[in-house]
Amino acid sequence: MSQFQLQFDPRSYRRTIAGKDVIIHCHHYNARVQRTLESAVAVDGRAIIRGAAETVFAEQIAQALRDADDSEPKLGVAEQLYAQLGYGRLVLTPTPQGRVHATSSHYVEGWLAGFGARDEGVCTFTEGYIQAAIWAATGELVHARERECMARGDAQCVFEIDGGRTQAIAANTKQPVAFEPRTTGEYLRSQHVDEPAIIQALVDMPIHGNAEGLIPAFSVYLANTPADYYNLICIRFVEQMSAHGRDKAAKRMLIADGETCAMNTFRGIMNSVEWEGLVAPMIHEPRDNIFALVAISNGLGWGNWHITAHPSAETIEFESLNGYEALGYREYRGRASDPTCFMLTGVAAGLLELVYGVGTIADRLGTCGTRETACISRGDATCGFAVERSQ
Amino acid sequence: MIAPARGPTRVRHYACIHPETYKYFFAKHDVLAVWGRLAAIYGEPSVRPGFGVIEIQSERLILRATTGGNPITVIRTRRCTSQDVEALHRVFGFELE
Repeated sequence: MSQFQLQFDPRSYRRTIAGKDVIIHCHHYNARVQRTLESAVAVDGRAIIRGAAETVFAEQIAQALRDADDSEPKLGVAEQLYAQLGYGRLVLTPTPQGRVHATSSHYVEGWLAGFGARDEGVCTFTEGYIQAAIWAATGELVHARERECMARGDAQCVFEIDGGRTQAIAANTKQPVAFEPRTTGEYLRSQHVDEPAIIQALVDMPIHGNAEGLIPAFSVYLANTPADYYNLICIRFVEQMSAHGRDKAAKRMLIADGETCAMNTFRGIMNSVEWEGLVAPMIHEPRDNIFALVAISNGLGWGNWHITAHPSAETIEFESLNGYEALGYREYRGRASDPTCFMLTGVAAGLLELVYGVGTIADRLGTCGTRETACISRGDATCGFAVERSQ
Repeated sequence: MIAPARGPTRVRHYACIHPETYKYFFAKHDVLAVWGRLAAIYGEPSVRPGFGVIEIQSERLILRATTGGNPITVIRTRRCTSQDVEALHRVFGFELE
């Protein structure tokens, strides 16, 4: 699996696997973003997810293949990459009936943990991955559609492969961005929290799929997903919703996904054995939790962001030097007119709600609001987030 | 007078992966032997030194602890059955009251 070796850049906190910057998110975030897109009636959310996965993984899988190999070992490499990234166990060699199957799935686990069983399949992302893998390995253009899914009680996920496709896979077209992130700033630190130790522990941690291709860690299921995928689905979702006059609703929903993710993911992390083993001894007062959680999010590849002001439990401000959402927007679309860091905007509020809020997660949701005060996508030097308790 | 032997105890613990997650607490002198039995049945534990965690991941159960080995957090996967839990309890010497 050496071709999938993680490269970590300690200056930018970027994680790279098989030539792609990857972001570690958990099953909560991935399932919720999927539900947001697929539940919007104005747009075809499944097509957005499938198309983005196909475009991004066609490129990443191709980078992991050796031209001289036959299609069978190439499909094997695509299966290994899928498992290594934490999406599950996929068998890509089609049966005589033209079907491929999966025996474990990050998205199934995420959906069942977050929302319970579903009548329809939940593996839209995997449909796109399969289309990309078959094209990269064999040159054949196909449609993959899930016919059986473990999320609805089937024994395994089964995908029908239809070879009658003529439409090419869209290229992952980005423009180079001349942006040099600032490397330092006036940041608050906790005297108790050893942020470099936390980040180093994360870098040293083998965050790759187990025998089932899943990554159970920090009490959640993690996956390494290319930043390009998240950027494409979010940009296209907002654009398509905008065509129906629903862009504000789309942004609100993506921000809410980030907020919910912060509450659930970080609650899981704070209840994990990893936290107990390394971080809990560093926590001497409630605010230490936020410094530790920000260090963890930096180690997960979300960006190089830090706390700039935290005068009370009612308010906090962050600065992000190279968030993947802002830089991704610049790469795909150029300058934005409005801020584009929906995930970090939601997460910023979720952090305050989780650490200082009272009651259940449901009670705390929506009690803080974030304003993105500056954004690299608009041409600002950094992204800024100001959070205030509103209730 | 010798006090009667006491088995492990457990408390419920939050984990997103499965709602039926528990931490099992063992007597200090028992815990090494418990990990030995777990290794024989579920596979050798792996160590994550950065976070100070030891762990066994099997298809149906995830067993984790800080480096002292005690308590052991047991996370069930979706495939875990009541028979799997009963088998684990026998390894632990744990009895439901």
